[in-house]
Amino acid sequence: MSERSEPAAGDAFLAVEDLHAGYGDARVLHGVSLRVGQGEICAILGPNGAGKTTLLRALSGMCRVRGSVRLDGTDLAGRSPDAVARRGVAHVPEGRGTFMPLTVEENLRLGAFARRGRGARQSVADDLDRVYGYFPVLRTRMRQVAGSLSGGEQQMLAIGRALMLRPRLLLLDEPSLGLAPLVTRELFGIVRTINAEEGTTVVVVEQNAHLALGVAQQAHVLETGRIVLSGSAERIQADEQVAQSYLGYRV
Amino acid sequence: MSERSERGPARPSLVAPVADEGDHVSEPSDGRAGLPGQAAEASAGARGWRGALVARWRGIAVVALLAVAIYAPFELVPFRVFQFTMVLVYAVALIGLNLLVGHAGQISLGHGAFFAVGAYTTAIMFDRWDVPYPLTLPAAAALAFVLGWAFGLPAVRLHGLYLALVTLAIAIFLVPLLKRFESVTGGSMGLTLAKPAPPAWTGLAPDQWLYFLALAVTVVAVLLARNLLRSRVGRAMRAVRDNEAAAEVMGVRLAFYKTLAFAWSAMFAGAAGCVYTWVIGFVSPDSFAVTLSITLLAGLVVGGLGSPAGPLLGGLFVMFVPSLSQDVNEAAPGVVFGLLIIAVMYVAPTGLAGLAGRAARTIGRTLRRE
Ligand SMILES: Nc1ncnc2c1ncn2[C@@H]1O[C@H](COP(=O)(O)OP(=O)(O)O)[C@@H](O)[C@H]1O
Ligand SMILES: [Mg+2]
Repeated sequence: MSERSEPAAGDAFLAVEDLHAGYGDARVLHGVSLRVGQGEICAILGPNGAGKTTLLRALSGMCRVRGSVRLDGTDLAGRSPDAVARRGVAHVPEGRGTFMPLTVEENLRLGAFARRGRGARQSVADDLDRVYGYFPVLRTRMRQVAGSLSGGEQQMLAIGRALMLRPRLLLLDEPSLGLAPLVTRELFGIVRTINAEEGTTVVVVEQNAHLALGVAQQAHVLETGRIVLSGSAERIQADEQVAQSYLGYRV
Repeated sequence: MSERSERGPARPSLVAPVADEGDHVSEPSDGRAGLPGQAAEASAGARGWRGALVARWRGIAVVALLAVAIYAPFELVPFRVFQFTMVLVYAVALIGLNLLVGHAGQISLGHGAFFAVGAYTTAIMFDRWDVPYPLTLPAAAALAFVLGWAFGLPAVRLHGLYLALVTLAIAIFLVPLLKRFESVTGGSMGLTLAKPAPPAWTGLAPDQWLYFLALAVTVVAVLLARNLLRSRVGRAMRAVRDNEAAAEVMGVRLAFYKTLAFAWSAMFAGAAGCVYTWVIGFVSPDSFAVTLSITLLAGLVVGGLGSPAGPLLGGLFVMFVPSLSQDVNEAAPGVVFGLLIIAVMYVAPTGLAGLAGRAARTIGRTLRRE
C-alpha cells in the first residue's frame, strides 16, 4: 500500500483506492485499497462476514460506495450494475444467480445480453461454442432448464454465462460453495485455463484458501472490512502463522 | 416453451421478492458434474427425443385446434359464435396479461383500463371521424402501448402488493374519468356504433365475420407473444422476473425492461379492447369497471399463469363462468364465481393448463406402458 500517492493508478489494471461500502446504515468496508495487474488472478480470503461478498458487489456497482474503483483507467465507482457490466465486468454472484426456469442456453445467451448490432448473432454463436468447449457438460444439457442441473453444473453455467460477456474482469464469489472437492478442483482448473487462454483478469473470493492460493498470483486477506494482509500467493501460502490465524487451517 | 412446463408456471410473488440466491446452494454435487458420463449423455439423448415427440404432438394439437376454430362458426348458432368471439377477445387481453404477470413477474389489477383504452379509442375514431375499422386496431394498440409505458413507470419502484394497489387505482379512476368527458366519450350513456360488416365476396354472416376478425387478431397475438418471449427482450424480461440482481449484472437495465413489459402487455389489452368494440358495437364506462380487471387476472390465474394455453383457457373462463354462475344461482352469481375459482385453484394449483398438461402426461405414460 505504499504507492498510494500515485494519482494515475499506475500500471494496475484494476485499482481500488480507499473503498468504503455498506448497506443503508451498516458500513461494511472501511477503506479497502488493492491493485490487480492485467491478466492476473487475485484471491480475496478471509473469514465469514469479513465483507468479501460486499467487496465484489462494490466493484460491480451493486452497493453504494465511496472511494475510487478504476478499471483500465475508467472510473467505475457509483455506476449502476448494468453500466459496469457494459464496461466488461462480469460478476458471478454468491449462490450463482442462474435463472432456474430458463434453459441452459437461454442463461448463456443472457450473458451476452449487452452485445447487439451487426455481427452480434455470429459472435454470440462463436462464444457459445467457446463456452461449451470449456464446459462440455453444458452442451449436453443446453435445452434443459437450469433448475434441473446439479450444483457443480450450475456453477459451471454461472461461470460460462459470465464468459459470454467477454469480460475484461471476472469476479467470482465463492465458486466452491456447497460443491464436492473433486468438482471444486475441476472448476478451479478451468478458471486457470480461462485465465491463461484469454488473459482475463480474475478476482476470486474464497473460503477455501488452499485452492484459491493454488491458482492466484496475488492474495489479500480481508477481516471486518479491512485488508489485514497482502502479498504474493506463495508467500501467504507459506506463512504458517497467517494460515493459522487468518485462514483457519494447518499447512 | 416446452422447457418451462417441466417446472410449472412461474408465480409472481405478492410480497416483495427477496433475493432467491441460495435456494439451490446446499444441494450436494453428485460428483459427475464435469464429466459428461454415459448416463448424462443417455438421459440428454432421451430428453431430446422425447422433446421432439412432444413438440410434434403440440404442433398437431395446434393445427387441429385451429381447424376446429375455423370450422366451428359454420356449425354453431349466431349466439354461440358471438360467445366464442368474446372468448377470443378476452384471450388476446390475457396474452398481454400473461406476458406481464406470468413472464415478467409483475402484477396488474388495472389491466381492464388498457382494454377500455383500446375500446374507447376505437369507438371515438368511429364516432367522430368515421375511420375505417381496420385502421382503428393499430391506433388502439399504439395508444395502449404508450399509456402502458407511462403507467409502467411506477412498476420500476414498486413491488408486489404496492404495485397491485397502484394498478388497482388506475382501474378505479378510469370509470369516473370516462363519465366526466361526456362530449368525447358519451358519458354514462356510452357510444353506440355500427359493427364492421362482412364484405360481400366472403358470403359470411355478420357474426361469422366478426368471429374471423377476432380469430385473426388472436393468431397474430399468439405469434407475436411467442416471438417476443423467445427474443433477447423476452429473455431479459424473464431474467428480471427470476433474479433482478443477477439480470442487472448481465447488463439488463431493470427500469427499462419492467416498463417495457407493462407497455407490451397494455398493447395486447388495447388490441383486445378494439376488437371488443367491433364485436359489441357499444361502449359505456360501466362495461370497464374494476371487476373487469379483477376477472381478467382471475381468468389468467385459473387458466394457467405463464403457460401458452393459459390465456385461451382463461378466456373461456372469463366468458362462460360468470354467466354460468348466474344460471346456477340467480341471486348471488358472485358467490358461485368465487367458489369456482377456489375449487379450480384447489384442484389445479398451476391452473387449468397445468391440469391439462398433467392429464396429457398421465395418458402418455399409460400408453407407453402398454
Ligand atoms: N444485504 C445486506 N444488508 C445488510 N447487511 C449486510 C447485507 N449483506 C451483508 N451484510 C453484512 O455485511 C457484512 C459482510 O458480509 P459479506 O460481505 O457477505 O461477508 P463475506 O462474504 O465475507 O462472508 C456482514 O456483517 C453482513 O451481516
Ligand atoms: Mg460471501
